[in-house]
Amino acid sequence: MLARRIIPCLDVKDGKVVKGIKFQNLRDVGHPPDLAQEYEKQGADEVTFLDISASLEARKTMLKIVEETAEKLFVPLTVGGGIRSKGDMRDALNAGADKVSVNSAAVFDPDLINQCAEDFGRQCVVVAIDAKRTGDNWTVYTHGGTRPTELDAVQWAQEMQDRGAGEILLTSMDADGTKDGYDIELTAAVADAVSVPVIASGGCGSIEHIHEVFRSTGASAALAASIFHYQQHTVQEVKDYLRDHGILVR
Amino acid sequence: MSLKVSLADYGVGNLHSIRKALELCGADVHVVEDMRQLLDASCIVFPGVGAFDRTMDRLLPVRDDICRLLQGGVPCLGICIGMQILTEGSAEGMEPGLGFFPGRVVPMRAACVPHMGWNEVIGKDELFQDIDNRYFYFAHSFHAETTTENVVGSTQYDITFPSLLRRGNTYGSQFHPEKSSRSGLAFLRNFVRFAEAQQ
Repeated sequence: MLARRIIPCLDVKDGKVVKGIKFQNLRDVGHPPDLAQEYEKQGADEVTFLDISASLEARKTMLKIVEETAEKLFVPLTVGGGIRSKGDMRDALNAGADKVSVNSAAVFDPDLINQCAEDFGRQCVVVAIDAKRTGDNWTVYTHGGTRPTELDAVQWAQEMQDRGAGEILLTSMDADGTKDGYDIELTAAVADAVSVPVIASGGCGSIEHIHEVFRSTGASAALAASIFHYQQHTVQEVKDYLRDHGILVR
Repeated sequence: MSLKVSLADYGVGNLHSIRKALELCGADVHVVEDMRQLLDASCIVFPGVGAFDRTMDRLLPVRDDICRLLQGGVPCLGICIGMQILTEGSAEGMEPGLGFFPGRVVPMRAACVPHMGWNEVIGKDELFQDIDNRYFYFAHSFHAETTTENVVGSTQYDITFPSLLRRGNTYGSQFHPEKSSRSGLAFLRNFVRFAEAQQ
């Protein structure tokens, strides 16, 4: 049977790992390849790098970081942030990423997802969705969660699946940075609406939160940052807890 | 002398991880872009990147020669798409496969596709020796169907499908050992040892 996945996420700016609190107030926590390798040792099922730097120069730095990481990491590596074109995706894959996540660019040009899936295979195409509650629904935001769109998050997830997304990385803007737990309602709504794997993201502050999102939703994976970066828990501790509570993990 | 592995480069995707992983397991890896060079290989690895047709476009001219080589006992490991091309063909593409394994590649019939993540491989084979944790990493929407005698490992995901094929000295894994951390590296180490013993 398929195990649920634990994915530490490293926010990377100018080649260094940082963690955004509500996408602001950044604090340096280390060198990405080293941290990735440490997480693999702890039992991480995958590692995600999110490039939050803006300049073209920083993008080249990121590709170097990906190359260095791929040389010594033997679990899948997903790279996201600032992917605007098929060329960007190809560069990341050639540098050694196994999957690439696309966020804002998919909103400007949804057809990009069809093209990427066609060229690279849908298993490498992750669509990242930043969603914020509006009334009974959730609205898709772009540009690192700063700009609202007209799109409904659940419908958007379905469209992205139909266009070729192999996976949905779903971040709750309401929960992100709060450490109060994943957005269960949002995660369940999206996971129920699509038939591709959904990665829950945003709001993880404790082991119990990860258990809760797996127990209450169909999420295939849980992404977390600060509980690992600040050494609150190791990945192994999280897995031991989940196993003891009846969740299948590797 | 370490084992010389010819790693087929179909011109798509990156080979960093599989190359590095095989090197860590003691192999001397040669990346081969001209598929005719595979015919001199003492051990072949078909990596798990790319799409069926594009991969077969490169391999079709040497299809019969490669099959003869494998029949002759040259050790081979095909990973994911690299395993799928060893069958007779795929629902993903139009081109025929190498046809070394009987059967074809079919779409995964499961509630959630792609089958993405860590799943258990059940079965007996020398490549599983000393591997306690049999969870390996999968990322695929198609799987091979072949005759029972060629299946040495299988995996459950709504259905049960073949996840490790073997015929003679040729293996095909649906999972990615190079992405499967300690268990995957142990599997590759076992393969390298197995291949060395055939030289």
